[in-house]
Amino acid sequence: MRLGDRAFVLERRPTLPGLYGLVTAGVAILLALALASLLFLPGEADPASAYRIVFTYAFTNPYGLVATIHRAIYLLLCTFAFLVPLRAGLWNIGLPGQVYAGALAAFGVPFLLRAHAATAPSLAPGLVVVLMVLAATAAGAGCAGLAGVLRARFQVNEILVTMMLNSALFWLVADFIKEGGALMSATAEGESFVLPPFLQPPTAFGVPFTALIALLAAFGLDVLFARTALGFRIRAFGWSPPAARYAGIDPVRLPLLVFVVGGAFAGLAGYHYFGAVPGLYKIPSNYGYYGDLSFYGIICALIARGTALGAVPVALLFAGLSLGGRFAQGALHLPFGVDYAMLGLLMMTFVVSHVLYDFRLGERLAPRPPVPEVSAERP
Amino acid sequence: MPELLLRSLEASTVFLFAALGELVDQRAGVLNVGIEGLMLFGGTLAFITAQTTGSYPLGFLVGFGVGALLGLVHGFFSVTLRGDQVVSGMGLWILSFGLTTYIGNPYTGPLGLPRIPALLGISPFVYLGVVLVVAVWFVLFRTGTGLAIRSVGENPAAADASGIDVARVRYLCVVFGGALAGVSGALYTLSYNPVWNYNFLMGWGFVSLALVFFSMWNPWILLAGSLLFGTMWQLSLAPELVLPGLLSRYVWRAVPFLVTILILAGISTAWFRTRWGLAKPEALGRPYVKG
Repeated sequence: MRLGDRAFVLERRPTLPGLYGLVTAGVAILLALALASLLFLPGEADPASAYRIVFTYAFTNPYGLVATIHRAIYLLLCTFAFLVPLRAGLWNIGLPGQVYAGALAAFGVPFLLRAHAATAPSLAPGLVVVLMVLAATAAGAGCAGLAGVLRARFQVNEILVTMMLNSALFWLVADFIKEGGALMSATAEGESFVLPPFLQPPTAFGVPFTALIALLAAFGLDVLFARTALGFRIRAFGWSPPAARYAGIDPVRLPLLVFVVGGAFAGLAGYHYFGAVPGLYKIPSNYGYYGDLSFYGIICALIARGTALGAVPVALLFAGLSLGGRFAQGALHLPFGVDYAMLGLLMMTFVVSHVLYDFRLGERLAPRPPVPEVSAERP
Repeated sequence: MPELLLRSLEASTVFLFAALGELVDQRAGVLNVGIEGLMLFGGTLAFITAQTTGSYPLGFLVGFGVGALLGLVHGFFSVTLRGDQVVSGMGLWILSFGLTTYIGNPYTGPLGLPRIPALLGISPFVYLGVVLVVAVWFVLFRTGTGLAIRSVGENPAAADASGIDVARVRYLCVVFGGALAGVSGALYTLSYNPVWNYNFLMGWGFVSLALVFFSMWNPWILLAGSLLFGTMWQLSLAPELVLPGLLSRYVWRAVPFLVTILILAGISTAWFRTRWGLAKPEALGRPYVKG
């Protein structure tokens, strides 16, 4: 763009100060909230009152706050599932599929041990819960590992494979919980059996042990990436796979590893939301809704710029927004999907903030227009 | 059985339109992984427009326009800003997924208009799809414009040196690809399955994206692939026609997605990769920086 003798161009920043990341993430979130206020216009309250309902329910209402924490744990685990492969430059968008795989495996354990009825199992209940957690993480890891193997061995696009697995696993869950499926409830069509009380994990202040795992993982992942040789190898692979190969980094094992670790987190997220959250303890008929919520993990990881600890407050905020948004939707008689619309707006503002982060408006001296030729002939 | 074939042709056409646009996109070196989002947006707004105005042409026009506009947005991020094409594509997909859920929800249910009349018993869009394949093949491989598109996708620096405006060509292709993805979404909601519901595509856009890789960027192979996937999709909805009582209907619904993975793995084997490697646009996914 030209203004007088100055020209303005969009150019990449030569250096990226750390503070900029924080500022642009904040701008992205605030911009999304400003745009999302338009969603409340058809409701019975002005946007300020609508946001008051959202935040009051999500962060001060005793029921809402516990629900926000449950959802934040879920989103955080999904964030890690996306973040670990992302640090290696790979996209794991198979979060819903891996969540479904984890949930199916977790509920498969008591079913196979015949511990899903109200009678006491042959194994100690605590051991069954541990087996459920292990099965869920293994199933999520296996599911993501398939995408990792195909990517590592054959260079198959991981976005396509993980997306295909999302759809395939969505239907496999339906097969297990509908029309006489193995995990179907004896009393309700379209949902799984409810875990008996002795398989419901203990909670502290209504929060299950998965919260501790998620927080420890946040700390552990940042240490892994910043302080260990493996973390450096993962980052090096993400920066430049050919350079990483010259440096001796195995181009097959590393993509496989990051997908397996990422998938394990998503599988654990599946156990957490369906097997450890009070009031649920089953795979409900609207499991697809919970699966699609996992996409918030993508935004959390992107906005947190790949830092696991940075993702903790972002996940908490997004959990509150999505839950509060759903609550406000009912309270203000809004159309379904306020929480999903917020997800979309956050993604859009993230992409804009990405530009703000990487680019700046540069100012140049505009080239002078060519001097018109003067005729040599004198009048 | 004839009904199955007719429905398969209709499903194939939805895949074909989206994949053909993406093929042109990718031939110019731009990867748009967000075509599912463009289809969702195009399909949803086309559905709302057609239902509120009672006009199919207007619905398709809106689908076309919305797709082109989102293609333009993708072009801005990937061509002008030279950003990561995957980030931009994923952004468009999640944006569309989130917003269409909200916008389309009040319109959940059937379209409520008389079906688009068939031509000689077949949906007119099937003919249009074949014409488009011929046109795209002709333009890409028999005209100077096609040579410019392919050279921009193979070696943008060389194309630039020979006087081709790389950014202009890429913008045109990405807008064309977006418009076809929008029309494909409109085909789904106005013709193939004229009912709006939450996340109605459930992976059709990603299957279309897979089809482009499968086709080795050749419009004729793309046509064959679309027919194969369209038929497979319809069979997964009515498996009792070929293998009655073998698996539950839910498992059958998962089959097209699992087969897509198998095909993607198959075309990545050494034999296939030699040819795939030759066909793949060399500069695919790489922003062009004038050096």
